[in-house]
This record gives sequence, structure tokens and C-alpha cells, in this order.
Amino acid sequence: MKKLLVLLMMSMLLLAACSSGASNSNESEEGSDSNQITIWAWDPKFNIKAIELAKEAYASVNPDLKINVIENGQRDIVQKLNTSLSSGTSKGLPNIVLIEDYRAKSFLEAYPDMFQPLTGSFKTEDFVPYKVEATSVNGENYGLPFDTGVTGLYVRTDYLAEAGFTIEDLQNIDWKEYIEIGKKVKEATGKRLLTLDPNELGFLRTMIQSAGKWYVKEDGTTPDLANNEAVKRSFEIYKELVDNDLMNFHSDWNQFLATFNGGEVATVSTGNWITPSIKAEASQSGKWAVVPHPSLPGMESVNASNLGGASWYVLNVPGKEKAVDFLTKTFGSNVDLYQKLVTDIGVIGTYIPATKGEAYKTGDEFFGGQAIISDFSKWAEEIPQVNYGMHTYAIEDILIVAMQNYLGGQDLDKVLKDAQQQAEMQIK
Amino acid sequence: MIPATTKQNIQVKPRKYHNKFRFKNGLIGWAFISIATVMICIFYFYPMVQALILSFKSGAGTNLQFVGLDNYLRLFTDPTFIAALKNTVIYLIIQVPIMIILAMLISVLLNNKKLKLKGFFRTAIFLPCITSLVAYSVVFKYLFATDGIINKMLINVSLISEPIQWLTDPFWAKVTIIIAITWRWTGYNMIFYLSALQNVDHSIYEAAKIDGANAFQQFFKITIPMLKPIILFTSITSTIGTLQLFDEVMNITKGGPGTATLTISQYIYNLSFKYTPDFGYAATVSYAVVIMIVFFSILQFKAAGDKNA
Repeated sequence: MKKLLVLLMMSMLLLAACSSGASNSNESEEGSDSNQITIWAWDPKFNIKAIELAKEAYASVNPDLKINVIENGQRDIVQKLNTSLSSGTSKGLPNIVLIEDYRAKSFLEAYPDMFQPLTGSFKTEDFVPYKVEATSVNGENYGLPFDTGVTGLYVRTDYLAEAGFTIEDLQNIDWKEYIEIGKKVKEATGKRLLTLDPNELGFLRTMIQSAGKWYVKEDGTTPDLANNEAVKRSFEIYKELVDNDLMNFHSDWNQFLATFNGGEVATVSTGNWITPSIKAEASQSGKWAVVPHPSLPGMESVNASNLGGASWYVLNVPGKEKAVDFLTKTFGSNVDLYQKLVTDIGVIGTYIPATKGEAYKTGDEFFGGQAIISDFSKWAEEIPQVNYGMHTYAIEDILIVAMQNYLGGQDLDKVLKDAQQQAEMQIK
Repeated sequence: MIPATTKQNIQVKPRKYHNKFRFKNGLIGWAFISIATVMICIFYFYPMVQALILSFKSGAGTNLQFVGLDNYLRLFTDPTFIAALKNTVIYLIIQVPIMIILAMLISVLLNNKKLKLKGFFRTAIFLPCITSLVAYSVVFKYLFATDGIINKMLINVSLISEPIQWLTDPFWAKVTIIIAITWRWTGYNMIFYLSALQNVDHSIYEAAKIDGANAFQQFFKITIPMLKPIILFTSITSTIGTLQLFDEVMNITKGGPGTATLTISQYIYNLSFKYTPDFGYAATVSYAVVIMIVFFSILQFKAAGDKNA
């Protein structure tokens, strides 16, 4: 009797195991169905909306292709990709994935052969150069450039006016001049210049890229910190901002938004993707303007830089030809789509032919009628190209500590030397 | 003598009878645990062995190569790992004693026979324990924000004039994390003390009272010695818990500013998912945690063994 019971339970368990296995395999077969592709991206108000628009545009080319868009947080996508790709199975992977430019090379080099080269399937010369550099490895293009993180300096014209400045005084300035203006603005209004998260050095990244430098040398792997003039100068400016009490600190995104929406700071220095958040505070309409990103003083540097931005990548899994076709016929060549992206969402692409369109030239009432999209696109083309390499975030975490030590009073050369040593040890 | 022989006589027959059944029973028993055993082997031991092998490899993503003991040597010269370890030790040295003492004091208070609304207080203090780690971390982050309610309160009662940078100053960030985990886990440890206290014979206290011992003497001379095994148990489990600290730090400060609040678990996460993945080295750091936990567990067995054996 007991034996029978055991047998029964065992077989039940086994059956359960088998049946679940069977249903799993069914699902994955469905996933590789020949006439549908899957896309992973984050941010429903920005990237997902952009794909939806691209889907509409593509419907006229190939109405039969079913496109599944799956929204995941960026961190989740990074985690999922890492686990799936390192397990060596292509099951469950999407056909197209959005990857942040700073992370792209880390994926492309850590998982060779898992990404489909796009070389030749779109015109690279139609895209801004820094973006093409960020999406290629060893001369092969892997990513189709998407949005630009071109930076600008968002300024409160009313605060500036109180201190006796107009936006003319802020055109093409360097950080030293910016600090001098900031001191006077603080005197007149009591407001600090800008707000930063001490746990993130995006600000530093924009400063060094404007001088054509990065945390690594041009090969993308050798850390370049101790003898990097741009890093050194950026550190000094950062400290000067802190020492003069011109810097406000926030610890997360919501506090960041609250700080400038609440009128606590006079300027915001970041990527153009902040525009919708600036405009979210409708009562400040007409009080903002965007001026070019300040340059690094005392060295060769331009008044343009980049922060963030992502590109589309095709994975080397069944359905890749369809995925490539979808991308190249939408984001790769459709000028009208880019106009819609600007008017409907505010996405500034990196496709140069699109900048001639009407949507790019329209003035924005919130910014006093300034044609910010066209300004941003103009600056985007000036961004120096650098090789981000595959270790941006690893080195940045080292630099965050270095910055804390430097702000705490340690010698700049010493902290950078230590950082260099640590980085060399960590990234082999 | 006589009872002994009868015992022997009786045992002869049933033994045979038993053997047959024991075998059958055993088989059925084994059949039952075999499933669990196989599952544990596949999902527990196999990954552990794989992780051990992985910890001797290094490289980005799938380009892993055997590097022998390099990863383990790297641990000793890795400033980030050392910083994470230091933070963990600081949490240990400061937070665990505070929490243990608080838990003990609260449990003694709640064990008071004359206390009214006992159930309410017990629930109130245990409640933090059933909140989700992520949820409470997020709430703490907002409470301790520069313009958060804690700063507003402190300013309004004129304790401070400038808001404290709870999350962005290296010192205060550690304080915030310590406050958060103390809030979350004190109630959990209190339950152990409470149950232990209820096992203490009340007559001991009565005797002490008759002998003229005051409340402090009772607490230090009776309560603490009686609770010794539990104190040990809770300190060891808290120590292990601290070594595995992740959710709070990840959500409240993200390890920052810099590495001021970074924990070992979060470093493992960063190595695998934030930076270009080096799963090999991440596995090595995991094994460093394993070694430390094994060390503390042995310590517990040794220390508790003296008392209980």
C-alpha cells in the first residue's frame, strides 16, 4: 500500500517536471517564430514611444512582421543580457536591444559573436561621428545610433538678470568664467549654481569629453587618469564649485528634479534628455534658456559634450535579418520618423539629414522661443569622439572615491595616481 | 540485574522483526528524501562547485581563463574590496551591539507581568521585521533626504541649523544605514530574547528579591547570564546577516558616497552587473564571504558547544 503511494507520488512529481519542461519548450519555439521580432528597451515615455513610432512607420514597408516591444528598466536589461549571454544560450534573448553607449563596448567585447555586425547596412556618414565611434568595435559597426546625449547648460534667465547678466554673457564660456558668474548670481539671488549627485560623475564625463579625453586612452583599455590633463582640470573645477558653496548635492533622481523644478539652482548642466523634466514645471515657462556647454579652461576643448544616449543593437539569434531590416528602414534612414520623434517625444536623433527638417527648427515657447532642438543638433556634431572603452563605470567608481579624498583635502596628484594604480589593477 | 536481562530477552525477537521493516521503511524514507536530495544537489551543490571553479577564472563576460590563485591574491590588494570589508566590520562593531542591547532591553520591558497592552507593543516592535527590505529602504531614503522629514524635524526643534547630509556625507551615510538596519532587525532579535525570558523560572527572581537584589542587579546577575546562549546566537546570526547586507545599502545610498557604505554583497553585484562583467572575480569575492561565514559559524558552534553539551 505504502509502496503504491510512493510510486504514485514519484510519478506525479516526475510528470509535473516533464509537463513543465514541455510547456517551456513550446514557449521558446513561439519566440523564434519566423515572422516576429522582440525588442527590449527602457523608459516608456522616451525609448518605448520611439519604437512605437518606428513600428507605425515600418508597417508600410512590411505589415506582416509582428514586433513585440518589452519594457524593462535599464538595470534589468543589463542584468538579463549579462546572465543570458554568459550562459551561452540564445533562448529568451530579444532580436533588438537598446544599450547605453557607455556600456556598449563592454557587451560587444565580452560576448563576441553574439551581436550582429551592421557594417554596410546603413550609411555611417549620415550619423554624427562620436556616436558611430561609440557603437563600433575593430572597424565593424554593431549599433545603429539612436538618441544623442548632447549636453547644454540650462540657465534661469530671471536669476541671471538679477545678477546683471544676459544669456549673451554665457555663450561659449569656459568653466572658470562660469564659476565667476555663479559667485555673482549667488550673491544676488542666494541660489547655488547647480546640483549634483556625489555618487555619479556624469558631470566630470561631460567635462573631459569636451576636451576629447576619456577615462581610458584611445585604445579603450589603458586607464588614463594620473597624467590626464582634462581629468585633473575637471577635478579642480569640481572642487572650486564645492569650496565656493556653488554646488548643491542631491542623492537621487527625484531630488534632482525637485531641486531645479523648485527653483533652488540657477543652472542645470546635463544632457538634452532633461528637457521634458525642465518643462514639467509649467510655471517657469519663459524663465529658462539653453546655452552651449562650458569648455575646459586652459586646454583644447569645445563648447559641446555628451552625457548618456543609447543605440540599437541586433543580437545574433534567428530573426536577425528581419531585425536589421526593421532598424535600417526606420531609425537608419527615415527622415520623417525623426521629425515625429522630435515633435511627439522630444527625442533628438543623431541622423544628420533629419536636422534639416521643419520640426528641428521650431522654437520652444518654454525657452523663450529659442529653437533648442536645432541648437542641440548643431552642438551634437561638434562633440569630440572618444573611445569609451568597456570600463567606464568601473573606473568611475574608483574616481568617485578619489574625488571624495580630494574634496577631503588630499593632494590631487596623489589621489589620481592612486586611482590610476587601482584602475590598472582592476581592468586587465 | 534482573531488569537488564529481561530487556535483552525482549530485544532479540523484535530486532529481526525490525530489520525487515527497517529496510522497507528505510527504502520508502530514502525514496522520499531522494527527490529533495537530488534537487539540492542540482540546485545547491552543483552551483556551489561551479562557483568555486569559476572563482579561479577571470575575464570579461564569456572570455574566461584560468588564472589560478590570482583572484584570491587580488582580494588582498583590491582597495574596493578592503573598503567594503571595512564598512562591514564597522557595521558589525557598532550596529550589532547596539541592536542586541536594544533588543534585550525591550524584551525585558515587554516581559514585565504588569505591563498593559503587551500584545500591541510586541506587534509594534516586531512589525518592521515583516516589511519588505526594499520598501522600507526607499522610505528611509526619503526620511533621511536633505529636505526630508528627519532634517526638518531636527531643524524645527533647533538641534541643528544646517540640514545634515544624511545620504551624501561619508560619515552620516554610515549612520543612516546603521539606523535603518537597527530599526529593521531589532524586533526580530527581540523575539528570541522574549521567548528565552519566558523560559526563565520566575522563582529565581523571587528569590533574588527576597535576598534584596534591586532591578539592576537582577538584570545583570540573573537575566544576562540566563540569556547568554541567546545573546551568542543572535550576535552570530546578526554578524552573518551583516556580511550579507545588500538591499538597504543598494536602495538607500547605492554604496556611496564613493565606497563609504559599500558592502561586500553590493561589490559582488557591481562586479557582475554594473561594470564589464567579471564573473570569475565576483565568484572569488563570494567565496571570501563564504569563508568568513564558515569562520563565524565555527566560532558559534565552539562557543555554544561549551554551554550546551
